[in-house]
Amino acid sequence: MKKNNGSDPVLKQRKPWEENENTVWLASTLSLNRNVEKFKFPMKLDAERERQLIGVISKELMANKYLVKPTLISAEQATPLQKQFLVEHFLTTESFQQAHAGEAFIIDESGEFLITLNVHDHIHFQLLDVQGELESAWNKLVQIETSLGSSVNYMFSPKYGFLTADFNQCGTALNAAVFLQVPALVHTELVDAVLEQLVDDSFYVTGIQGNPTEIIGDILVVQNNYTLGISEENIIANLRAFTTKILVEENSTKSKIRHEDNAEIKDRVSRAFGILIHSYQIEAIEALNAISLLKLGTELGWMTGITIKDLNKLFFNCRRAHLLQQCGDVKQEEILHTRAEFIHKTLSNVKLTI
Amino acid sequence: MANNSEEEEQENNNNNHNNNNNNNNHNGAELERPIECTECRRPIAVHYTEIVNNNFIETAMCAECPVLRHKLQGTPHSEQTAKKADGSTGLACGNCGTTLESIRVGTPLGCEICYEVFDDIILPEMAAANRLPPRILSNKKNQPIHLGRTPGQSQEINPSLRLLALNEALSEMLKSEDYEQAAWLRDQIKALTEKRQENDEKK
Repeated sequence: MKKNNGSDPVLKQRKPWEENENTVWLASTLSLNRNVEKFKFPMKLDAERERQLIGVISKELMANKYLVKPTLISAEQATPLQKQFLVEHFLTTESFQQAHAGEAFIIDESGEFLITLNVHDHIHFQLLDVQGELESAWNKLVQIETSLGSSVNYMFSPKYGFLTADFNQCGTALNAAVFLQVPALVHTELVDAVLEQLVDDSFYVTGIQGNPTEIIGDILVVQNNYTLGISEENIIANLRAFTTKILVEENSTKSKIRHEDNAEIKDRVSRAFGILIHSYQIEAIEALNAISLLKLGTELGWMTGITIKDLNKLFFNCRRAHLLQQCGDVKQEEILHTRAEFIHKTLSNVKLTI
Repeated sequence: MANNSEEEEQENNNNNHNNNNNNNNHNGAELERPIECTECRRPIAVHYTEIVNNNFIETAMCAECPVLRHKLQGTPHSEQTAKKADGSTGLACGNCGTTLESIRVGTPLGCEICYEVFDDIILPEMAAANRLPPRILSNKKNQPIHLGRTPGQSQEINPSLRLLALNEALSEMLKSEDYEQAAWLRDQIKALTEKRQENDEKK
């Protein structure tokens, strides 16, 4: 399948972010690493075998009934903008900019599936879920994995489970991540204490760019730490139980802020609003942090003229590749200004009511 | 290098096991890691000083460094590097050429055969990286290590896990008498149950 009518299969992806009304549980991703028997892992695989592998896998997946009009994009075909767009859209903590010949991506029109080929492992299935339904997302992911598994043999050993290039990922080879936006916990400075109390070794918490010390946009990314020696169902059940607790803490902090009529938080929300509508140029991270405070303000009824859905949309659209995709040809040095203008436009009807 | 006294203690400790090692020239300056371990990110635990023909060779290594092991086992440094040059030293995978040394510094495995070749070190390495659940570390005999799916096995997860988690949180909130959160959770549970029932009726 090739690009046609100028409609770019990557950049036209909008779903499922268009309709995301989630407050705390922003999204979750599930991914599975699989490798094909008789082929060495990608790092040791020569170019000819890499091509062969992509041929076999993509042929099957292009005809897969669980994917909606899938598209194959080889890494050398993909533009830097497309690669960055994929990173933003699928909330991957890893950059694809280094992807080189012999690697490929498969996406489909649902906007929920990303399959990367030959990056660290032969196949990396990833599913994006904004419904908060980890369990049914898992069931969907397994359908695709199983249907591809009927035509290729996955590497598997009874002792180590599914084999992966990084042995720290073997076993279920499942990575589940939940993205929780917790502005109330962050700005009341309770977040560290809450995490310390709740986190054990089965999880780790990081930021959206994969750096645990840099929490961007008040988003905690909670991921499973163990892939071997624990079943998929247990991984998901543990994650579910853990994130429910954080959800409750965040909500309880929000209502406390509301009851206390917390002046400090009101000030932060007002300032964030000021930055967003009065900046001439703005960095993505600064914007994401301020937008999170606006979400908090909206939920607490401190502002009118915007919905959570709009703010979630803005959260994605002001990131670099999404911004460039919408605003067309922008020179490198004008990006910050373009972002500021884009945000002004989106927030033009918003009023503070505090 | 944060803590000098601790390092020196370990260094002395190291000396006890090593005859051709001398420590009196140590000045606490930044030391080089062994060339083989330049990618190693583990904290430095051992300072190793070697005297060959009146020359001091100082190296800094982590406690598990494979180079350190070679040195402590008495393989002369020159012989060891010579061996390395023709690639015949240490354990390596016959299928893809991945070596034990490269795995110890965090390079991924090369092929499925590696899992057999390096069978003895995979679980200890995972345990050291804190990637094994306590169940496996407790080391009861005859219990399977891998749990979960096998290829082709369909394994549906019960969608009511979400309800279970909410219910659990609800009972905790009731226990701690946070009735506002309890009410919120109750609403969530109600909405979810109604949605499920609707879906079931449609089916």
